[in-house]
Amino acid sequence: MDPEIAYHVDRLTQDYIAQGLDPREARRRALLEFGGPAQIEEDMRDIHHPRWLADLRQDLIYAARTLRRSRGFLASAVLTLALGIGANTTIFSLVDAVMLRPMAAVRAPGEVVQIARVREDCGSCAVSYPLFQYFHDRLSSITGAFVEMPIRHEITINGVDDEDVNGSAVSGEYYAVLGLVPAAGRLLTPQDDAVPTAVAVISYDYWRRRFGLDPAAIGTPLTYATTTLTIVGVEPQGFEGTERGRTHSFAAPLSMLDALNDGNGKWRSDWSLNSLGMMARLKPGVSLERANAEVTALFEPWLHDRAATIPVPFQRQQVLKQRAVALAGAAGMNGLRLQFIKPLTILMGIVALVLLLACANLSGLMLARVTARQREISVRRALGAGNGRLVRQFLAESLLLALCGAATGFCAAQWFSRVLITMMANGDTLSLKAAPDWRIFAFTGAVSLVVCVLGGLAPGLGAATASVNPALKQVRAGGHRQLGRLLVVAQLAISMMLLVGANLFIRSLVKLYSVDTGMSTGGVFLVDLLSKHHFPATRSREIQSAILARLHRIPGVVAASAANMVPLGGGEWSREVQVEGHAFSPGEDNTALMNAIAPSYFRVTGTPILLGREFEERDESSANHVAIVNESFVRELLAGQPPLGKHVTCNKVTYEIIGVARDTKYQNLRKGVSRELYIEWVQQQSAEPGRWQPMAYTYMARVSGGDPMRLAPLMERAMPEIDAAMRTFHPQTFEDQVDQSTLNERMMATLGGFFGLLALIVACLGIFGILAFQVSRRANEIGVRMAVGATRRDILVLVLREAALLLVPGCLVGALAAVGLSRFAASFLFGVTPTDPEAFAIAALALALSTLAAGYLPARRAARVDPMAALRCD
Amino acid sequence: MASEKSDLLQGTLDMLVLKIVALEPAHGYGIAQRIQQISQEVLQVQQGSLYPALHRLEKRGWLKADWRASETGREAKFYTLTRAGRKQLDAEAANWGRLAGAVELIMQTSE
Repeated sequence: MDPEIAYHVDRLTQDYIAQGLDPREARRRALLEFGGPAQIEEDMRDIHHPRWLADLRQDLIYAARTLRRSRGFLASAVLTLALGIGANTTIFSLVDAVMLRPMAAVRAPGEVVQIARVREDCGSCAVSYPLFQYFHDRLSSITGAFVEMPIRHEITINGVDDEDVNGSAVSGEYYAVLGLVPAAGRLLTPQDDAVPTAVAVISYDYWRRRFGLDPAAIGTPLTYATTTLTIVGVEPQGFEGTERGRTHSFAAPLSMLDALNDGNGKWRSDWSLNSLGMMARLKPGVSLERANAEVTALFEPWLHDRAATIPVPFQRQQVLKQRAVALAGAAGMNGLRLQFIKPLTILMGIVALVLLLACANLSGLMLARVTARQREISVRRALGAGNGRLVRQFLAESLLLALCGAATGFCAAQWFSRVLITMMANGDTLSLKAAPDWRIFAFTGAVSLVVCVLGGLAPGLGAATASVNPALKQVRAGGHRQLGRLLVVAQLAISMMLLVGANLFIRSLVKLYSVDTGMSTGGVFLVDLLSKHHFPATRSREIQSAILARLHRIPGVVAASAANMVPLGGGEWSREVQVEGHAFSPGEDNTALMNAIAPSYFRVTGTPILLGREFEERDESSANHVAIVNESFVRELLAGQPPLGKHVTCNKVTYEIIGVARDTKYQNLRKGVSRELYIEWVQQQSAEPGRWQPMAYTYMARVSGGDPMRLAPLMERAMPEIDAAMRTFHPQTFEDQVDQSTLNERMMATLGGFFGLLALIVACLGIFGILAFQVSRRANEIGVRMAVGATRRDILVLVLREAALLLVPGCLVGALAAVGLSRFAASFLFGVTPTDPEAFAIAALALALSTLAAGYLPARRAARVDPMAALRCD
Repeated sequence: MASEKSDLLQGTLDMLVLKIVALEPAHGYGIAQRIQQISQEVLQVQQGSLYPALHRLEKRGWLKADWRASETGREAKFYTLTRAGRKQLDAEAANWGRLAGAVELIMQTSE
């Protein structure tokens, strides 16, 4: 007895003794007056340790013991949950890395906004320098703004070269707006930018890598191309630049841009050169909405004034199709977010379905266990367990499973998100931090809670509604067949949705790859060049022909050429054209896609020349400017006229058409074919001297057999022999380049297919589970049926019919939901509509076959029931 | 012993306990005795139910407890009112005053 209570009872006892009762009677009376000490003590304990906590502990221990006894159930439940939670955590980590995680070391990142131009058709964000100045001087909702441009080149420090280092050319207020504190030295100031000052700031990471955090780095010269900058300071630790996915190692004043990139300063005055990323800091208390409204309102008159100077109506309209907006900038520039927001949103939807499926599966499995544990539950009820207590017991079990699943899923997600980032990097480097932060932990926690409730509630309620009697009397009750079937139907419906999605994505990808590109992309090698410096025109020409000659000398090379724009690389170059014999009506598109190509280009790409010829070496020295056009060009601008010998004028040069090539895809596989004008590269160089360096072209070679990539090391070794300043860069096959242009489609098809397949497996396990369970419950019924003359085949059909009865509503519900949801994925589809009947039919067929397969095993077991054994069983 | 006894109104036990302890530090037995004595045996406290109430008040910081020698010489757990407990008692007393007054007004209305 608690000493405090003992004292009280003893005092009462003495009172009674004093009244003349004998000690035993006195004690009895005292206890009676006091009330049951055990009950009181328990009430007191509850005050210090709340009851539910003790109950939870007890429930968890009991759940752990129960689960440990059924290892098979434990393993399959944890695996399913790990899949659901892991998939969700993975996709959420990417969402976090791409758009939620704020920039490190930046002061009050919530106040940082990006000011960007947007157009309906493309997610372009960059602004021009005149637009930046306009906004900088007029926006009242900001305290400061900056623009920056990514630069990348080999840099040399202390005589040691560093290949392709990412840097940023930044305007004066960059560090002030971001509110960064230098780790060493000083950061760049507006004075550095006001007049070109040859200084640079390096990132903390680069300071550690190149200088081992040595303070002597300050003052060291850093040579970028031909310009030498002096390092004046180090950025704070953790700061990697404003562009998510791209880590910069140094920053230099924007006014140094022309010196660094051999530019002509045109970007400062030309409002149509949009190549700068712009960010600003909001005044305290100003909302993003207000800033956005001001940006949009200010932009409109500015754009109209500029557009009024464009003579051609079509182009004027094109220019007017843009708006300016202020976007949240806490996570940095929005380029990566705009690129991946749609696929990530759809993937979030897909993994949410996978999670629901896992919950339905867990719920079904636990419900089956409720039925199997009917006796135990009845005993517990008979001993006085309330409904709430029984539900809590099952929630504890699902909580334990959810925690195990979350732990496993969380670990799997760490690996899986890295795989996905590699995939998203698309052959390039994409430095994203997917390491877990508090958001990811919170998300996984929330998901696990959902799993716990969704998974445990149904069986808990099932147990709570069970009556005491039948189980104690050892009668086999029907159990929770309706609820169990509902859960299987739900699993089938979700699987159907995922399968339809997978089907649509995979069929889109297949269709995309079977598009007629007008080229044969197999067996073609592509390589770019980098150079330490620029070349005079004659030297450029020597280098270019030396490279082609070198490619030609490699055994197996059938043709070698070069092009300014390799098709399907995502780039676009278009110019206004004037065509002999065609007058553009106002509002008609007067541009054509351009490409500057070397002789033999069409032999390399495998595009047939339909009329005339392709460029030859003799054209290079000829004074007669020549051009090749594609079929669309002829059809749209030279209708009904013989195209050869016609003249096209472009950028003040008049070309004679000497050939017509087949239509080819230009920017990517999705876009339709447009009119195209090919000009000869050397003629182009003479017409626009100084602009076209050997590095402007991609060199390409068709090989007759074997892996085209075997050319890569050969060319890498050959380049320094051709010119010591040059080296090869980014060698790849044409097919690789095409693959890169289909990143989103490949990602959706791969992940959609993966999750669809998993869903199918999980749903089949669910079907198998419920049918096997029902067969075991119905063993005596089956026995009776067989005893009165049912054949084994009848029994087989009986059980499979059960499966079919689940399949049909599951398929229908899933298909209806898929019809409603698939339109959200329309932008990832190609050549199929979101309600493509074939996709739905294939998904339904796959589901039906798998369901029947899953149902066959229990059906066969039912057909093998020995009637005598079954009848004797009860 | 008075022939008529009343059960405590729901929620008033806490207030009574605080009031008794405010007079002087007391142990559970003492508190039960004093409630009966002061109310002239009208109020009957289920003696055991005093202890969960005492522990609850202690946990809320209105009482603090320590073991010391009692009048019989044996160690007992004495409860003392804290500063927060004094505030709470004043609040409850004021509230009780209003409530009792209001009930009184209604009951004295002539039929």
